[in-house]
Amino acid sequence: MNTRSIRFNLISRFAALLLLVTVTFAGFTYWSVRRYVVDVVGGSMLHRAEQIGRTLLRGGPADESYIANEIETRYAPELNDRFIRITRADGSVLYCSRNPADRSFTPANVPYPKAKTLKSELREESPSDEAKMLIAAVPYSSDQGGGYLVEAGTSLAGANRVMEALLWTLAAGLFSLLVLTVIGGWMLMNRALSPVHNITVAAQDITLRDLRRRLPVPQTGDEIANLCVVLNKMIARLQESFDNVSRFTADASHELRTPLTIIRGELEEMIQRSDLNEQIRSALGSLLEEVERLVAIVERLFALSRLDAGEAQIERVKFSLSELAETTLEQMSLLAEEKSISLQFKTKDPVQVEGDRTRLKQIIVNLLDNAIKYTPDGGAVELSVWSRNGTAFLEVKDTGPGIPESALPHVFERFYRADEVHSRDVEGAGLGLAIVRSIASAHGGDVSVSSEVDSGCRITVRLPRAK
Amino acid sequence: MRILLVEDEEKVARFIRVGLKAEGFAIDSARDGRTGLQLALVNPYDLLIVDLMLPELSGTDLIRELRKKNSHVPVVVLTARDAIADKIANFESGADDYLTKPFSFAELLVRIKALLRRGTVNRSNVLRIADLEIDRLTHQVRRNGVAIKLTSKEYSLLEYLVLSAGRVLSRTMIIEHVWDQSFEGLTNIVDVYVRQLRAKIDEPFGKKLIRTIRSVGYTISDFAE
Repeated sequence: MNTRSIRFNLISRFAALLLLVTVTFAGFTYWSVRRYVVDVVGGSMLHRAEQIGRTLLRGGPADESYIANEIETRYAPELNDRFIRITRADGSVLYCSRNPADRSFTPANVPYPKAKTLKSELREESPSDEAKMLIAAVPYSSDQGGGYLVEAGTSLAGANRVMEALLWTLAAGLFSLLVLTVIGGWMLMNRALSPVHNITVAAQDITLRDLRRRLPVPQTGDEIANLCVVLNKMIARLQESFDNVSRFTADASHELRTPLTIIRGELEEMIQRSDLNEQIRSALGSLLEEVERLVAIVERLFALSRLDAGEAQIERVKFSLSELAETTLEQMSLLAEEKSISLQFKTKDPVQVEGDRTRLKQIIVNLLDNAIKYTPDGGAVELSVWSRNGTAFLEVKDTGPGIPESALPHVFERFYRADEVHSRDVEGAGLGLAIVRSIASAHGGDVSVSSEVDSGCRITVRLPRAK
Repeated sequence: MRILLVEDEEKVARFIRVGLKAEGFAIDSARDGRTGLQLALVNPYDLLIVDLMLPELSGTDLIRELRKKNSHVPVVVLTARDAIADKIANFESGADDYLTKPFSFAELLVRIKALLRRGTVNRSNVLRIADLEIDRLTHQVRRNGVAIKLTSKEYSLLEYLVLSAGRVLSRTMIIEHVWDQSFEGLTNIVDVYVRQLRAKIDEPFGKKLIRTIRSVGYTISDFAE
């Protein structure tokens, strides 16, 4: 899962916020319910203790058995699981209820209040490991003198069970709310983001080569639709400027043809004259060489602009790429021999491609020429052709000085040279690899380079394999 | 041999005219398509050189009109465009060969010679320079009666040199003719092949036929020095 996606971010933040709010709410609910329960139970205990004092202790020093009898009759604390205890001012127990029916506590173990009780109060006690008890203690002074402390209490086990049930309900509600939020949020985000996904897919398909294409604009009139319209306008501007550049290149190289024809023709004819002295002939020869270099650059620029414009009607002929590679390699083997470079060809199965044979041959020639040129004497150049999953691969590997990492992203740019020392090379003019890339992409393929300084470089061309 | 040149660019026309005259051809020229067509219909030319972009009547239309009138004169088209579609259109209209500007004159000459040779039946298929003989049908090469075995590239190179005997050919011109366009720019391959060729046809024999012209290129001729 992409943790940086809008979807993940929004949903996780929303879920966290929701969790915070609901946990607070649940906590508050739990706390107030518990308080309410304690208040109600406590209130009833206080009331009972007061009642006992008022009704049973008013008439002076009471008879123990009478009081026990009265309490049994009126309140039946054992049956009602209540605790009642009356203590005299000197600390002796006047009455204490017996074990309750549910044995939720043992009355004999219930501790006495730590300090002297001056007014009615509520306290919680834990007489054993069992549930807590809530005990109301009410001091009572009879008219005849003599103070008593009346305590009425009950186990909180029942209340705790209610609270526990409440806690579970709250937790279950919270958990399902969270799950529902995440699922619902996911679905909502999917719905909201699916146009964005569509745009991404469509935009990926629009390459420099088919800038005529546009993004589909959803008929919703929402923000996404606006975004598409704006992006489409941007693509249109991009296309326009791109078209201008290729048209300029095409026009310029076309306009250069006639003057170049004249210069080339005149120079060529002049060189044939037998009455030239050596110096003039060699000057003319060098001029002719430069003109031919210009012609080559113009031709290449023209070819590039045509490939860019996509109007180069790429011939679609099915042929064996491995065979073309092998014959081209043979044709260039003398160049490698000159520098004692070992030129190897590797292929497993014949690989068929569909395309323009001449242009694809150009790719092989350019790559091999480059490799041979930059590999020092005695090195090795390897050309391999293979195919995998419907893609044909053509790779040239050399043992030259390699290309510095900083130059790697630029090697397929026009007129770019990784190595300034070679910038006077007549051949390439820095267009060789640019042409390789244009031809590859005109065939629906691409080219990539990997290199480490001092360990040579490897250029890989990928082309769709013929079916 | 009489050739008609239809080219509106005067300077281009001029060097073609001068060059062809030096080669012993008789040249007429026209500067627009209509004049060109009229001349071609009136005079019995051996060959036409036609630029495509002409005023009045385009080169393509000129050739089409000519072919309609049942003229079978060979036509070389000069074009500043090199789209494949253009080439196909030209061959369909009846052109026999085409050259893309900026072309080399040596290449034009070789193409002209090839077309003229196609027209005449009883021309010998053997080219000779001094004691070197090249049979263009069997691709057999002999020097001083000794058969020399050449690879097909070496043969094409030698044939081109011999067809342009006496002319200085630059490395680029040689590349353009002997190799296909994918090798454009690889001028060092020419040096390698010329060296190989020399080892076979010059070095074992006394007289050197292939000469290097410093900072220009190569030439082959029977140097009478």
